[in-house]
Amino acid sequence: MLLTLDILTTAAILFIVSIGLLAIFGVLKIINFAHGAWLTVGAYCAVVTAKIGLNPWAALPLAFVIGAALGGLAEHFIIRPLYRRPLDAILATWGLGIVLGQLITLAFGRDVQLTPNLYAGTVEILGVDYSAYRLVALGIALAIGTLFALTIERTRLGLSARAVIMNETLARSLGIDTGRVRLVVFMIGAGFAGLAGVLLTPLTSVDPNMGVSWLIGAFMLVMVADASYLALAAACLVFGAAQVLISTFVSPILGSIAVAVLAALVLRISPKGFSRA
Amino acid sequence: MVEAARRIEPAGAALTLEHVSSGYGAVSIVKDVSLSVGQGEIVALLGKNGMGKTTLLKTILGMVALRGGAVTLGRQALAGLSPARLVALGVGYAPQEQPLFQDLSIRDNLRLAVPSDRMLPEALERLFGHFPFLKDRLAQRAGTLSGGEQKMLILGRALMLRPRLLLIDEISEGVQPSMVERLRGVLQAERDSGVSMLVVEQHVAFALALADRYAVLKLGEIVDSGPARAPEAQGRVIDHLAV
Amino acid sequence: MLETLPVAERAAAAPRGRRLSRAAPFVVAALAALALWIAPPFLDTFAVNVLTRSMIYAVLAVTVDLLWGFAGILTFGQAAFFGIGAYATAMILGAYGATPLGIAAAVAAALLAPALLGLAVGWLSFYHRSTPLYASVISLVVPIVVVQLIYSGGEWTGSSSGLVGFDVLPFEIEGYFRLAALFLIVVTLAAWILVRADAGRALVALRDNEARCAYLGLNPRRLQIRLTASLAGVAGLAGFLFANASGVVAPENAGFLFGTELVIWVALGGRGTLLGPVLGTVAIDYLAANLSGDLPFLWQLLLGTAFVAIIILLPGGLADLVGRLWRALPVGRRVPAPPRLVARTAETEATAAATPILKVEGLAKAYGSLTVLEGIDLEIRAGELVSLVGPNGAGKTTLMRCLSDGTEPFTGAIAVGGTPITGLTPNRIVGLGVGRKFQVASVFESLSVADCLRLARAPHDGLSPVGQAETLGLPQPALDVLRMTGLDRLLTRPTHLLSHGQKQALELAMVVALEPRLILLDEPTAGLTKAERTTIGTVLKALTAEGRIAAVLVEHDLDFVREISSRIVVLHQGRLVLDGTVEDVVGSELVRTIYAGGAHG
Repeated sequence: MLLTLDILTTAAILFIVSIGLLAIFGVLKIINFAHGAWLTVGAYCAVVTAKIGLNPWAALPLAFVIGAALGGLAEHFIIRPLYRRPLDAILATWGLGIVLGQLITLAFGRDVQLTPNLYAGTVEILGVDYSAYRLVALGIALAIGTLFALTIERTRLGLSARAVIMNETLARSLGIDTGRVRLVVFMIGAGFAGLAGVLLTPLTSVDPNMGVSWLIGAFMLVMVADASYLALAAACLVFGAAQVLISTFVSPILGSIAVAVLAALVLRISPKGFSRA
Repeated sequence: MVEAARRIEPAGAALTLEHVSSGYGAVSIVKDVSLSVGQGEIVALLGKNGMGKTTLLKTILGMVALRGGAVTLGRQALAGLSPARLVALGVGYAPQEQPLFQDLSIRDNLRLAVPSDRMLPEALERLFGHFPFLKDRLAQRAGTLSGGEQKMLILGRALMLRPRLLLIDEISEGVQPSMVERLRGVLQAERDSGVSMLVVEQHVAFALALADRYAVLKLGEIVDSGPARAPEAQGRVIDHLAV
Repeated sequence: MLETLPVAERAAAAPRGRRLSRAAPFVVAALAALALWIAPPFLDTFAVNVLTRSMIYAVLAVTVDLLWGFAGILTFGQAAFFGIGAYATAMILGAYGATPLGIAAAVAAALLAPALLGLAVGWLSFYHRSTPLYASVISLVVPIVVVQLIYSGGEWTGSSSGLVGFDVLPFEIEGYFRLAALFLIVVTLAAWILVRADAGRALVALRDNEARCAYLGLNPRRLQIRLTASLAGVAGLAGFLFANASGVVAPENAGFLFGTELVIWVALGGRGTLLGPVLGTVAIDYLAANLSGDLPFLWQLLLGTAFVAIIILLPGGLADLVGRLWRALPVGRRVPAPPRLVARTAETEATAAATPILKVEGLAKAYGSLTVLEGIDLEIRAGELVSLVGPNGAGKTTLMRCLSDGTEPFTGAIAVGGTPITGLTPNRIVGLGVGRKFQVASVFESLSVADCLRLARAPHDGLSPVGQAETLGLPQPALDVLRMTGLDRLLTRPTHLLSHGQKQALELAMVVALEPRLILLDEPTAGLTKAERTTIGTVLKALTAEGRIAAVLVEHDLDFVREISSRIVVLHQGRLVLDGTVEDVVGSELVRTIYAGGAHG
């Protein structure tokens, strides 16, 4: 039971952390290596919220707005010149991540920050005491997934984004402003990354480099999911399960690299990853 | 070609191309093409594969950069305008290659062609006027339509925003003769209501029956043109196209 | 510039200039070694220590530059190989002491362990149709895995605190400085010689156009794997030196963050220039050591900002800026002497006309539910020039693709000279004697005309790993193409400066230089002028007229087809509808209907 809960909540957290990266990769075909920095920015929004004495949950909208605003600037000044050089875009966004990390260090120092727990305590489920927050995170992941699905499937923006993914030339010839679609999608993806940063604060210590450790896992999951959010959910479940099982039964250290190694092998065998299933 | 362009008064021309050149990378595809389409006129652009017909349409639409010359819609110069602006100015386009989002529903395919969802009901009404069979099939995936039905959807999509100018790329390709006749009927009715059209075709008989004038493109240049219903037109065109 | 010199003068000037420019790198290297040898007494201990480390890092930067700047493989993995070399050294010296045997074992392990891992990583990263992004992904995973293994190594690896206190080589800090300097100079010089040699052009060719490499019969995969493995070995040796010089190894030395730092240094210094990354690494690492004490975050901030700006605005790095200034000076503009063209006698033996060069039986291909080719039977013999015609979507290009790439999923049988090609990668099919010219001219944009041609001869003549051959031997038909199109006077011109027609002609010359038995041409005249089309037609006719080789071309220009073909095959909606002489096809009512758009299935 405990194992099942661990698997579900781990998958949920992986999903929360990767969904913003997926949105950007899907539409822009660009890997945002500053994603880790956006997680950090989000987490520091929680720090600021606590400092000025607001309700901890108020950090969520704040992180989304700040993440999206920074995303808009990044898309305009850094991503746009590099659409034709995707490998260089990885490097430039990595550099941007360094810059953001150092700016945060200059503003807040490099020490670990304390944030109030969003939802403290444990609850008893079927005879097991379990961290209440991890369950809340599971609920939030489902909510984010649903919101994302509704945006993609039901809204005009989602439709335009899918059109750009499927056939950008046709989308453009029908009069869709594909540049605007890219900008808005990047902003939303960056906003989700900020949101994820807030949601990580109860689970991990907050410091200027916290995002980097999450980046590679998210990156590998997105590679395997190849622009499909359903495939991302499946990948989070499968690799999250592998991570929990290996950590529990073999070694926590091997568990921590399970996602990256398994994803690399899956890609070697099937370059489209999980998206074909 | 030159005399053909001269016959249309510039003021009455819906679309004017003057010494247009364009291409991709180091390759120039369209070379010094001058052509005009009058108000309520259909001009058929004929030629074999790879002669630059589609590239010319894409150049007008702003999808391929203009390298030289000028494209004018009415009195508006089109150089540098995005496809989105052109759609707003009343240009409709029925592409040939990958013309539909196969995995999206027919409704979503149509939604993507209107600037806002508010305009959709009216546009759909117009579409059903031409092709009523689509009415009950909006939820169906576009890829499940037959080849001929897909062509009607593509044409209907281009017509539903009441364009001033239609750019049509090989609408008859792979369509049964009876359906080709139906497409011709729709296009001629639109022409009679004042819409101008530039129609790229390989189906010579269809093109000449439909159009008012024709032009033949060879290696990116116009090599022949004239009135489409002239008795000698068909023979001349086929001589340009066949082996 | 040289083009304005009279021929005799040019011939006299070339060898002397060449000898001079060949000696120059050795002279510079010797001077640098001398300067660095006598430098330590003039530097304080701190500077000697830091610069020793910087120079070892610069060796890694050279390897990253070869992989990324030259061969186009963006890698974060060199840190892992470096770390493994360092750890192997520390573990062996710790266990056996710095005895001669221990040192030899440490060197061997520091070289071989990373090289073997490099082999495995290369095998994982590069396969037919692998993408550059995938190789980068793997290069990210490797250091992460290595670091985690170090963490879980317990006493063996010292876990998170690393290893200290192992025996090291009996040197003072000046000794390590000199050793590092020599190592750096040797590696840089070797890399310099490699990239300027003919074999080095193959690296750039891989970066520019991997498909073209495969279609010249080179095995891109093998080249990439070998490069990865050997440079992993070099990184491991750098790790050996680092472990000895610093006396401490830590997990960070193998980590992904260090891997990204290497890439940043190379990018700032100037990828693809060797000296840029070397100087960039030494300068940045030295500055960092001096500045990061006082303003650590500001320094990182500046570095990050500079990195982003350089990637966007100046992808060639600072070396590119310096290079542009240098070329603006009169002394900087030296045009290399072109190689002398010589004719090679053809190696292909005349095939007996009885066995067809190409035999296609019951070929069919479908993309999902869409059938593109169906029931194609075709035999082509030496001396034939077969044109493949048909309207759009008839399946012509798909057929060409099936003929030149056996890994395309198709059913039916294709045999070249009697050998079935199903499952063979393009480079192996080239080995059977098939040359393919693409529709859009596929050449190597950053190489010169002569280099492109030399690569086309590589499967026959090999490539020198140390120098540039002074002659360029080509079969007579390839020379004819060059002469007719004037490319023989443009041998040193970079390909990206050629016109579209010249590029098409160059690609044709490259394909002909392969001495194929069967030559496949996809719209060789698209976008060409009348004169250029005539030239290509003449070449093709002459090639096949000797009766040794056959050609298949896809062509839309039917006048051209009519002029040169010995046979015409008409495809329509994926089926072969007509196969006959020019007269048969020209007079055919069926073809007229197909082209008039009347025949619909």
